[in-house]
Amino acid sequence: MKRSRLDSVLLYATAILTCALLVFPIYWLVVTALSEPDQLRQLPPKFWPDQPRWGVFAQILAERPILQWLGNSALAAIGAVTLSMTVSVLAGYSLSRFKVRGGQSLGLFILTAKMLPATLLVIPLFGIFRQLELIGSLWSIILAHATLIIPFTTWMLKGYFDTIPRELEQAAMVDGCSPLGAMVRVILPVSAPGLAATALYGFVLSWSDYAYARTFLTNAQTNWTANLGITTMKGEYVSNWSDISAASILVALPILLIYLFLERYLVGGLTAGSDK
Amino acid sequence: MPRAAFLDLARPSRRHWLGNLLLAPAVLLIGLIIVYPLFVSVDLSFQNVNIARLDQARRPFTTANYERLFASEDFWNACWVTFKLVIIVSTGCFLLGMATALLVNNRFKGQALARLLVALPWAVPEVIAVVIFAWLFDSSFGLMNWIFIKLGLVDTTINWFSSPSASFAVVCVVMIWKGYPFVSIMLLAGLQSIPEDFYNAARVDGASAWQRLLNITIPSLMPVLGVTLVLVMLWVFRDFSIIYVLTGGGPLKATQSLSIMTYEQAFGFFKMGYASAIGVITLIVCIIASRLMIARAPDTM
Repeated sequence: MKRSRLDSVLLYATAILTCALLVFPIYWLVVTALSEPDQLRQLPPKFWPDQPRWGVFAQILAERPILQWLGNSALAAIGAVTLSMTVSVLAGYSLSRFKVRGGQSLGLFILTAKMLPATLLVIPLFGIFRQLELIGSLWSIILAHATLIIPFTTWMLKGYFDTIPRELEQAAMVDGCSPLGAMVRVILPVSAPGLAATALYGFVLSWSDYAYARTFLTNAQTNWTANLGITTMKGEYVSNWSDISAASILVALPILLIYLFLERYLVGGLTAGSDK
Repeated sequence: MPRAAFLDLARPSRRHWLGNLLLAPAVLLIGLIIVYPLFVSVDLSFQNVNIARLDQARRPFTTANYERLFASEDFWNACWVTFKLVIIVSTGCFLLGMATALLVNNRFKGQALARLLVALPWAVPEVIAVVIFAWLFDSSFGLMNWIFIKLGLVDTTINWFSSPSASFAVVCVVMIWKGYPFVSIMLLAGLQSIPEDFYNAARVDGASAWQRLLNITIPSLMPVLGVTLVLVMLWVFRDFSIIYVLTGGGPLKATQSLSIMTYEQAFGFFKMGYASAIGVITLIVCIIASRLMIARAPDTM
């Protein structure tokens, strides 16, 4: 069906206006980071700085331990994703392929666990980690983030494995592979895109966490994750929005890049296990 | 049939065994870091404890935490705040998510880019979203005050974070901005699974765009809509970071949701038993809601 000219104009106008409005806050973050702090106190506001201070990123990295915070976030996320992927690849495969007794109820439980409030688990975990002397260590965060990630990745992977025909591993087994060998040599390589997308989701979940980091890592600044560091900057430097914005961009960047890469898988991933 | 024969011969016993073996690490880990802590939480809620020291002797069983909770004005205030948030934010996310999904579902040049941009806030960590909006709503130099004055809506700057209703509104704005992309993404998936033929047939029959929306699009989206609604409501219900970093639950407890109250009681006042009782109540609500969701999506398993 051809659209009329008027409809086309309306459609483009709506699309451009909507995108502009919805993305504006992110644009404003960039403008704020690139503006001199005293320029921000001028009215009317400048929608693009006269002289963007591109050096702000290097400067903020030098002034504050942001690299260390980013490093901590990355270590926590990599640890949590590795742990979670290891157990949930096996579990997702098992839930997809085998009729295990109790598998159904485990699946339901995992789905419920996806919806647990962090503020509920954070109390007992605090007690447990204190007893294990993990408070202040990244291990506490790795374990805590695994509670966020495992329910998510197990469901996504189960959904993904369900889309791979069973004939593949059956053929491999006819050719003499053991069931486990068939999974490792045939199914996992075929699932590589799904595994990568799932792992990146896990990474996003861990990277975005604030509640657990706020509770378990407050003792020393050197242990902070990036999100935790940003909130302390918001508290202490009330006036310096330029620096906070620059730091925020550095913290959001990894997720934005992952998002650009993942956008195509986003639909499949988020809907897996909920509306199939 | 060779495949059936193969299944019958080699598998049944081993199959069962292997399935269990593959599940074991997950069951073990989930048991240690989710199930056991949940039990600890329920147990703490029935003790009069201040600091969670699991190596100490268990205090006697008591329902005092729950009695105090139900008698506390703060608890009912937090319930009311949470309820308002869930209703307002979910509605906002829905309207905006639906509108953007319908928009980028149209075919036009730049559609791929528009789709990318519309869902972009999904990729902004909650804490960063708070930084952005805290600055936009800054009382002295924030852009929002300037726009409001330019538009003639107000004549003096508003101090957004010291008025209870204004800060509640800001919390809603941030949560809607952060939450609508999820709805948009889910509904877009739903929209794309509706066969084009339905629309063509309706056009031939002379149905208007509005009629097509009401009679084809919305009914076809119903299953996705139901699940998405529950997921969004649960997200609002349990969200902690946005409110905590933006307002800390204030001013005057205007934004103190159940999550914030749980956290404050536990780590502000170290009333772990009392906080656990609030946590257990939120857990019960979450379980009921997720059961509702599973009932709505019978093929989930």
